[in-house]
Amino acid sequence: MASREVFWNIPYGYVIYVLAAIALTFWAFGFYRRYQLWHLGKPDDSSKNIGKRIPVFIRTTLVDVLAHRRFLRDPYPGMMHLIIFWGFIILLLASAVDAVTHYIIGHIIGTPYLWFKLIVNIGGLLALAGIIMAAYRRYVSKPKRLNTLLDDGIGMALIAAMLITGFMVEGLRQAATELTLHPDWAVWSAGGFLVAKAFADMSQSSLLFWHWSLWWFHSVLALAAIIYSGLVFSKLQHVVVSPLNIFFRSLGPVGSPAPIDIENAETLGAATIKDFTWKHLLDLDACTNCGRCQDACPAWATGKPLSPRKVVQDLKVHMLKAANNQANQSDSAPTLVGEAPSEAEIWACTTCAACQETCPVYVEHIVKIIDLRRNLVLAQSKMPETAQLMLRNMQSRGHPWAGVQSLRLRGDWTSGLELKILAEGDSANTLFWVGCTGALVERNVAATLSMTRVLKAAGVDFAVLGEVETCCGDPARRAGYEFQFQVMAEQNIEIFKNHQIKEIITSCPHCYHTIKNEYPRYGGDFKVVHYTQLIADLISQGRLKLASKLNSILTYHDPCYLGRYNGVYLEPRRVLEAISKPRLEEMGRSRNTSFCCGGGGGHMWIEEQPGTTKINQMRMEDILKTGAETVVTACPYCLQMFEESIEHKQMKDSLKARDLVEVVEAAMKQS
Amino acid sequence: MNTIVCVKQVPDPEIPPAKFKIDPETKKVIPPAGVPPVISVYDERAVEAACRLKDKHKGKITVISMGSGKASDVIKHTISMGADEGFLLEDQAFENLDSFGTAYVLAKAIQKIGGYDLVLCGRQAADWGAGQVGSILAEILGIPVVTLACDIQAADKKFRVKRTVKDGFEVLEAPMPSLVTVSSEIGLPRLPGGVGLMLARKKQIPVWKAQDIGAEASQLDKANAHTEITGLSVPTRKTECEMVTGGTPGEAGVNLAEKISKLI
Repeated sequence: MASREVFWNIPYGYVIYVLAAIALTFWAFGFYRRYQLWHLGKPDDSSKNIGKRIPVFIRTTLVDVLAHRRFLRDPYPGMMHLIIFWGFIILLLASAVDAVTHYIIGHIIGTPYLWFKLIVNIGGLLALAGIIMAAYRRYVSKPKRLNTLLDDGIGMALIAAMLITGFMVEGLRQAATELTLHPDWAVWSAGGFLVAKAFADMSQSSLLFWHWSLWWFHSVLALAAIIYSGLVFSKLQHVVVSPLNIFFRSLGPVGSPAPIDIENAETLGAATIKDFTWKHLLDLDACTNCGRCQDACPAWATGKPLSPRKVVQDLKVHMLKAANNQANQSDSAPTLVGEAPSEAEIWACTTCAACQETCPVYVEHIVKIIDLRRNLVLAQSKMPETAQLMLRNMQSRGHPWAGVQSLRLRGDWTSGLELKILAEGDSANTLFWVGCTGALVERNVAATLSMTRVLKAAGVDFAVLGEVETCCGDPARRAGYEFQFQVMAEQNIEIFKNHQIKEIITSCPHCYHTIKNEYPRYGGDFKVVHYTQLIADLISQGRLKLASKLNSILTYHDPCYLGRYNGVYLEPRRVLEAISKPRLEEMGRSRNTSFCCGGGGGHMWIEEQPGTTKINQMRMEDILKTGAETVVTACPYCLQMFEESIEHKQMKDSLKARDLVEVVEAAMKQS
Repeated sequence: MNTIVCVKQVPDPEIPPAKFKIDPETKKVIPPAGVPPVISVYDERAVEAACRLKDKHKGKITVISMGSGKASDVIKHTISMGADEGFLLEDQAFENLDSFGTAYVLAKAIQKIGGYDLVLCGRQAADWGAGQVGSILAEILGIPVVTLACDIQAADKKFRVKRTVKDGFEVLEAPMPSLVTVSSEIGLPRLPGGVGLMLARKKQIPVWKAQDIGAEASQLDKANAHTEITGLSVPTRKTECEMVTGGTPGEAGVNLAEKISKLI
């Protein structure tokens, strides 16, 4: 029966368990020190709801860890990590099987043993191939997003050495045993067999000696890697910290910072590293510096100073400094903003969430950036002048649009439409929440009017607030002016309640996200729908009939706050597909990898910093590549951004920017 | 150092002129409904000037405003910026006062508050733009006045005030107490911080009537007004666009310069 002896040629082999225990103690000590670091931060809700977390964790593990969904969006590094990952899972399981079976039956025997050999060898070879790919990528092809540190080299060398010595040990054992006795068994160990062949001429005593030496070298190397990763907190540590981070990841809405308790807040936003919660500090350690977020970031792509990777890594340096200061009895943690990350970096973020969507270990960049902005704005009154103007308008006028852009008054768009405008004491079930941009900016008012006509045509019974409607608070919140957001949220919730509103239709994805996902924390629970969802429903119910004479090539741009923030990808496409004639051409970057228009996070008003190009112009290149004649979107900011870049490119005749509702209305008219 | 700042609430200057209506009977401007009044822009800069002095020299900022109940929002705004206290001067007798009457009421309130080193006003109101109240107020209070300040420094019981003039600026010295009117060149007013907004939310703004400040009815009588409104109209704005061209960009520039030089 095919089998092998565990601890063959290794007298006192059990010593390895003692050594392993020592290594794990060192590792645990290192890990504990790191755990203390995370507790420099404030408490976090993440430690609650463990029961709710388990199913989410299992799901995320299946999809993003075992199947590598997020990794594989980038094929080379994705494949590279996948084979190292599965290679090591196999090796780890194999070692466990060896250890367990040894004390029960000796070892697996017969055909299963042969298959076991083959699988383990494939695992080792996969991991080795992955390491070669990684070394080639990091040291030869050197993609820009990699920031190579000494630790990367040490980690890689340790793994490579372990894999190679593993094959050596197996090969030498086979050369001394199976190769002559059972060559038919030996071939099942694809890797070991090659080594065995190479050393077939060696004398038996040399084989035994080298096998014995390398066995111990291989084992000690593995333990050394464990000690090293524990004490230095190497990147290798991600095999533990990343799953931990995924377990404690935010289950709340994307990019929504915690409210500030106005009455009792001691610090406003994050002034030092200690003002973040422990989960955010865990994030810093979970980050492996892989740079996927940097590649996805629209600010970075257009030459702005922001790299989400660098922000996280800079904050990690701050965490270590703060811990160091604490150890030296000086309790002060260094101020965050200034040296790194800089104000320019913090203000360059459009909160588009591309970084978070791509991060394989679920690091949350946006909330950190908002917390840094909060401190700048609320505690230090430091912000770009354009941000200040916008926030001042929010404060004194209740909306961010003032100055030359807006020559309309809030309720103007309603005139002559015979809409149900809610007066004091009126009540309504369904409210159409227009949003500041849709009410005040000429181009977007056109879409708002379209919207009211479509709703009426479908027989939807709705009311509007008219001149009483104010801002939902989103731009203030993203720009860090939390108090203004809270004031507006509370005010709006009260207005909704006073009118007994049950359902809110929004046209702006930013209002949609804010009212749907952020108002509940302030006591506002309403059924909130985005109009794309509503129209998709109306079409499937047959309440909206669309003609089929719209001859045009369309492309659809996913707004960040509708797509990545709320997962609404299908409905807008269903609507466009219901208009049968036009051809829908998808952009290379669409759905969850959609590239920001440049208008989010307050950037509709905060001036874009000089870079290599503007974000909306870079997105325009994506649009042009599809050959579309019309770019359709479902967000007032995106619409304006595209109108602006079409103007800039002087392409008004060949390309039109349209709100989805305008396309729907056009398709209706011809029926 | 104690500062008193006089602020006014005005219809939002962002409202397009065509949206205003005029009541020919009462000769009053009727701003469109639904647009809340705001602090007059120059007055907000006066508050900013006061806050900058307070940042440096400590002391107390008191804000007064004459107007209707909604003006308390304007006072609360100044408290969120850094003012310590505010009083609203509200009385039927204060309605429709001209610059002299307004200055009289403000002077009475300032005398009641007392103990000030500096009185600040905006250079003019963003609605009527008369630019009179500051100077008249100083006259009534019997203190020196410096207008159009773009920077105020305090040292040795004196103020050094940088003042914008047509071809640059001049620096004047004034004793304490003095009255200074502030121009927009002083810079953007600050955005209220978290603590300020918190304080402003809770702050009660006391209302003073004519009798509280000892304003005499005779002084507020319309018959004693120095000005009278005889007519009021919404200005009509005409925009004409003319493209200035030239053979080369340089020539076009020369042609443009010639056009402009004829206009000034």
